[in-house]
Amino acid sequence: MATTTNYGWTTPDDTALVKDGASAIRTLGSSVDTTVKALNPGTTSGDLDYYTAATTKARLAKGTAGQVLTMNSGATAPEWATSSSGGMTLLSTTTLSGASTTISSISQSYLSLYLLVYGVTNATADGVFYVRPNAVNEGNFSGVTSTPSAYKESDSASILSNSGNVVRTNSSNSWVYQIENYTSSTTLKPISFHGVYNGASNASSFGFGGLKTTAAITSLLFANTGGNLSTGTVLLYGVK
Amino acid sequence: MAKTSRPMVRIHNTETDEVIDREMNDAEFAQYEADKVAQAAADAAKAKGEADKTALLVRLGLTEDELKTILG
Repeated sequence: MATTTNYGWTTPDDTALVKDGASAIRTLGSSVDTTVKALNPGTTSGDLDYYTAATTKARLAKGTAGQVLTMNSGATAPEWATSSSGGMTLLSTTTLSGASTTISSISQSYLSLYLLVYGVTNATADGVFYVRPNAVNEGNFSGVTSTPSAYKESDSASILSNSGNVVRTNSSNSWVYQIENYTSSTTLKPISFHGVYNGASNASSFGFGGLKTTAAITSLLFANTGGNLSTGTVLLYGVK
Repeated sequence: MAKTSRPMVRIHNTETDEVIDREMNDAEFAQYEADKVAQAAADAAKAKGEADKTALLVRLGLTEDELKTILG
């Protein structure tokens, strides 16, 4: 019997009898059906097909949300995988208000937290601006800061204005605050912060050290000893 | 009109993005009062340190600039 060039489908010979035509067409159709299905193995919306040989394909079932396409360890076939690339994700934008503002229920899906804090003013008087992880105040911070004689320097939460009080009406201030390994429930947490405030006087502050807690950090409390917070913004990022 | 007896606090739940402004609860208010006492003590200690320093300089007959020069 004759066959086609590429897929070897069986076709009638020139000398074949007409009476065998129906059977020959049925055989050819069946072969075509098998070949077409092999070239289109997908079964579900979102599936992908890929070649396993020059004329053979396989089905790759669709991945899950957020997965990326990559090659397997043998570099022989594609597969879906969770993205391993790093980066920062904005988790929340918080407007400071009240005697304190707490950012709560912080996602535990990142390696570290990065906070940008700016535009902080308060209602009553110049004061000390600070952040308390997990709202813990005493005995929670150890490290080097720009002005060790400042308020509760050696044993308290992170004093973001440790070079002097924040002028309550000057909103040009800005700080960066970072906590590493914040989800750990077994290790202490390295932290660092730095910032500048009070406009023309350009007071600056910094701190390096750690939180003396093995508890995972799930919330951050911001407050100013000068009175209720009037304005201020906290951008919270998760970092992978 | 309802009277606010305690300071207000803001809670921002980052999981739900819900923001709640409410009065301090008992624990928060106790901490708030303790913070005020601690701040007053810190301010007093700082003021006393400044006063002691000034008094010592007077006894020594030095100005602050002269002291800085000595400590150079």
